[in-house]
Amino acid sequence: MKDDSKNVVDMDGMRVDDDHLLSMYIDGELDAERTISLAGRLKRETALRARLSAMENSDRLVKKLYASHSADAGQALTALIQSKNVAILKPTARWREWATGAIAASVMAVVALSLITEQSTFNPMTMDEHLAQALEHSPSRASGWEQLDGARDFRSVLTFPAADGRWCREFMLAHNESHWRGVACRDEGTWVNQVVGSEVFLERETQYRPAGAGDTEKVARFIDETAADVALGPQQEAALIASGW
Amino acid sequence: MSSLTAQQRQELIDELPRLKRFCLSLTSDPSDADDLLQVTVERLLEKGMPADAHVAKWSHRVCRNLWIDEIRSRDVRNRYAQAEGAVEGAGTTAENSEESVQLDRVSAVMERLPPEQRAALVQVAVEGCSYAEAATILEVPIGTIMSRVARARKALTEDLEWKTEREA
Repeated sequence: MKDDSKNVVDMDGMRVDDDHLLSMYIDGELDAERTISLAGRLKRETALRARLSAMENSDRLVKKLYASHSADAGQALTALIQSKNVAILKPTARWREWATGAIAASVMAVVALSLITEQSTFNPMTMDEHLAQALEHSPSRASGWEQLDGARDFRSVLTFPAADGRWCREFMLAHNESHWRGVACRDEGTWVNQVVGSEVFLERETQYRPAGAGDTEKVARFIDETAADVALGPQQEAALIASGW
Repeated sequence: MSSLTAQQRQELIDELPRLKRFCLSLTSDPSDADDLLQVTVERLLEKGMPADAHVAKWSHRVCRNLWIDEIRSRDVRNRYAQAEGAVEGAGTTAENSEESVQLDRVSAVMERLPPEQRAALVQVAVEGCSYAEAATILEVPIGTIMSRVARARKALTEDLEWKTEREA
């Protein structure tokens, strides 16, 4: 295998050894002349045949390894890609936070996936007319709920100015026993979700999900990073709503 | 550039399995690969792409650039510790079947390959790319792909044979 007499020159003028030749042979990248030549040698040379077999076996194992890792690829991300009217948060600076925090996008992806599999019409990632109207007209409140439609309850939590000049609102949605917390900002007359996370199941402690607390933190972090000032007081908010934002 | 078109979104969804394998070929760590895929998708959704862009090539380029940014900024010692843990974990959680043992071996050997060789090998041997296609995705000359793939196969084959002989 390391016999220089067997070295040949490839199309770019580089000298290649048998391993290079075998590799190109496996990939179908050898020209006809060298393929015929190599095939002849493979018939005669046992060691060369064994080497080819070992390389092909390595390839088979690598394919299997990568197939096993990609079997579930992107299932959670599919919902995120399919969803519209969702702005993606600025990626966090530290790589590991992407895994543990999974910022809003992954939260939204999981949320959307679970909802889609339930074949429910409720998808907090989608800004529908009911939610947009509630954000446009409903004052914030500390407790209580406003019925949004037949299936959902809504509560605006606070209103704040973003650094880019938009008005944003933190809100909560309730659907069955699940609660969702998010922030939407008014962008040229249209409410656009910025971040949506699942809350803990408030009504039933037995269904408490630790991940929910992390989701809430992401909403809080978004507000910290985005808000240009403190939240509006009730009178300021009422005036803003009355003025049509 | 603005948000992705409906067609680009669908093409990106179709591309996810391959993109995931590409992430793994770059990082060699499943957790890092998940992170990288996540961030790549987020970046694509955030920044969009030109209307006439080839979704697969564009997404691979974004992914690769994000990984380069990451390894430039990552703390080397921290990375080393995580990699060591991942290798040890892969070995200890293996099932008792021969296939699992073999896959653990391959995983460990792939981990040790230089990243550029690993990425080239995966594009060609796993994804079935021609050398020209792999060269486009990885943005290197065709001859470089040929050389990297061959060296990766050589290292992989010899390492696996050596391991097998040692354990026999």
